Amino acid sequence: MLNIYRRLWQTNWAEQWQYRANLLMYLLYWLVSPVVYLAVWTTVANAQGSVQGYTANDFVTYYLLLLMVDQLNADITIHLLAYKIQDGTLSGELLKPIHPILTNTLVNNLAFKALTLMVMIPVWLLLCLLFRPDFGTVTLPNLLLGIPAIILGFGINFLFGAAITCLAFWTTRVYAISEFYYALTVLFAGQFVPLDLMPPLVQQIAAYLPFQILRFFPIQLILGRLTGGEILVNFLLGVFWLLVALGLFQLVWKQGVKRFSAVGA
Amino acid sequence: MQWNENGDSPAPGVDAIRVQDLCKTYHVPEREGGMGEAVRSFFRRRYRDVVAVQKVNFCIRSGEIVGFLGPNGAGKTTTLKMLSGLLHPTSGKVEVLGFTPWERKNEFLRAITLVMGQRSRLSWDIPAADSFLLHQAIYRLSDEEYKQTLKELDDLLDLSPIMRKPVRNLSLGERMKCELAAGLLHRPKVLFLDEPTIGLDITAQARIRTFLQEYNRRTGATILLTSHYMADVTALSERIIMIHQGELKYDGSITDLSRRIAPYKIICVTLEDGQVMDLSRYGDPAQPANGEWGENGGCKNLIQVTANRVAEVTARLLAELPVQDLNIEDPPIESVIERAFAE
Repeated sequence: MLNIYRRLWQTNWAEQWQYRANLLMYLLYWLVSPVVYLAVWTTVANAQGSVQGYTANDFVTYYLLLLMVDQLNADITIHLLAYKIQDGTLSGELLKPIHPILTNTLVNNLAFKALTLMVMIPVWLLLCLLFRPDFGTVTLPNLLLGIPAIILGFGINFLFGAAITCLAFWTTRVYAISEFYYALTVLFAGQFVPLDLMPPLVQQIAAYLPFQILRFFPIQLILGRLTGGEILVNFLLGVFWLLVALGLFQLVWKQGVKRFSAVGA
Repeated sequence: MQWNENGDSPAPGVDAIRVQDLCKTYHVPEREGGMGEAVRSFFRRRYRDVVAVQKVNFCIRSGEIVGFLGPNGAGKTTTLKMLSGLLHPTSGKVEVLGFTPWERKNEFLRAITLVMGQRSRLSWDIPAADSFLLHQAIYRLSDEEYKQTLKELDDLLDLSPIMRKPVRNLSLGERMKCELAAGLLHRPKVLFLDEPTIGLDITAQARIRTFLQEYNRRTGATILLTSHYMADVTALSERIIMIHQGELKYDGSITDLSRRIAPYKIICVTLEDGQVMDLSRYGDPAQPANGEWGENGGCKNLIQVTANRVAEVTARLLAELPVQDLNIEDPPIESVIERAFAE
């Protein structure tokens, strides 16, 4: 099995290099909104001294970390798979004795991530030079704990993304559904503003949803703003949502393939 | 020449494929053109049932090569997809090597291959060689097995000059060769080939044909293939299965089919000075299929006579006419098949 992943990595990695223009577009898309929010909020914070306890540096560190976390647990399954379901080319993959999503699509995702990171890290360092953040609250143990938190977030995001993509077996409008999912992320994950600046009601709802595990939790964790108890609760919540996402994906995939093979691949 | 050393294929004579009362009906949405109809179909969708395959039965013994014939839309591809596990039938039973294909067990998928002209096993952006390595991992082939098989495929298909180029830069024929190789790297015991020579020139077609024959001989693999080129089928298989409008029309040997559908011989007569003459008093005039009979394109005087009259008619022709050359042939398979479908 490891050998399959190793080979998949090699082929996907080689393939990814073909799409340089794609990469640039993606880079712009990734940069624009967090950088705009960052600029707006630091200006406000600078003018007022702070916004509900957030100083300008708090905003800078938050959004700079958001950029990295966002990229690390991003999922592009819909772009890799939806068209294959719609034009029937998925059948080629169904003939192979491996699970196409949990192998090929997953590795494709990771290869794209690795490639984009090579471009993003220099850009990110440039942004750091520009905004001069003070990451004084970040400790090594918290940074290390951030790694499983981000992997967990990617797992959840990937499986939900894959489940949504599999709706392509029934409808041609999966991109709309995916957009809706992304909108929920913006609202409940702390993409837009740090979650603790949102209205209390939104915060209460968000606390039970998977979205904050994707962004807010790892950022707060790395910045050293969570107690040991909070970290544990969030990890448990994350594992719970990972299992939910896995179950949902398995269900939709199974039914979807059944339908695919009923209507004619 | 190591293919059959594994001894994995079932013994010859055992059924590799069993198909029983196989049916497939597609449920397709349907609407007239026009704006009003578009709105109406939004609220109340009408469906039409399209029968693609109807009560088809056949068995194929292990090691057999069978040609699967039928006009466009006859249900050939639908049947192949059901046999390879891509499609659920509406009803009926299929067993391939003892597996029910659409359960898509890994063990089953490792034992079969489906090669389709348009569906690709290869990644477009990278050389075929890289995709082959991926196949090695997916099908869990040991380095030794893999190298051996690849070498043999290379001998037969001449892959070396093309497998290092990105697939998108290959010609159609080159791609088909790589596609076949990718489909055969795991040494499948059952091969479903849908138009394996489509788009290839005569030389490449012949090569692939020889290759399939050789593969079958070495491995004892079972092969079911569809093709538009009759030459593929006649060169490879003694047995053909014909379907038309989803129904099985014929299952048997090509020779029997000719005997049944066209129990006559063609006599080609070349007269002195290349004369063209009305020979209707000897037999019915024969119409060449595409304007000419295979090797006797130049022959102008053609008659067809029932098999039992050949000796008598030939004797009369030789006695009564200034004959320079005379050939007796079987009717070409194209015209036999054409007749069979026309019935």
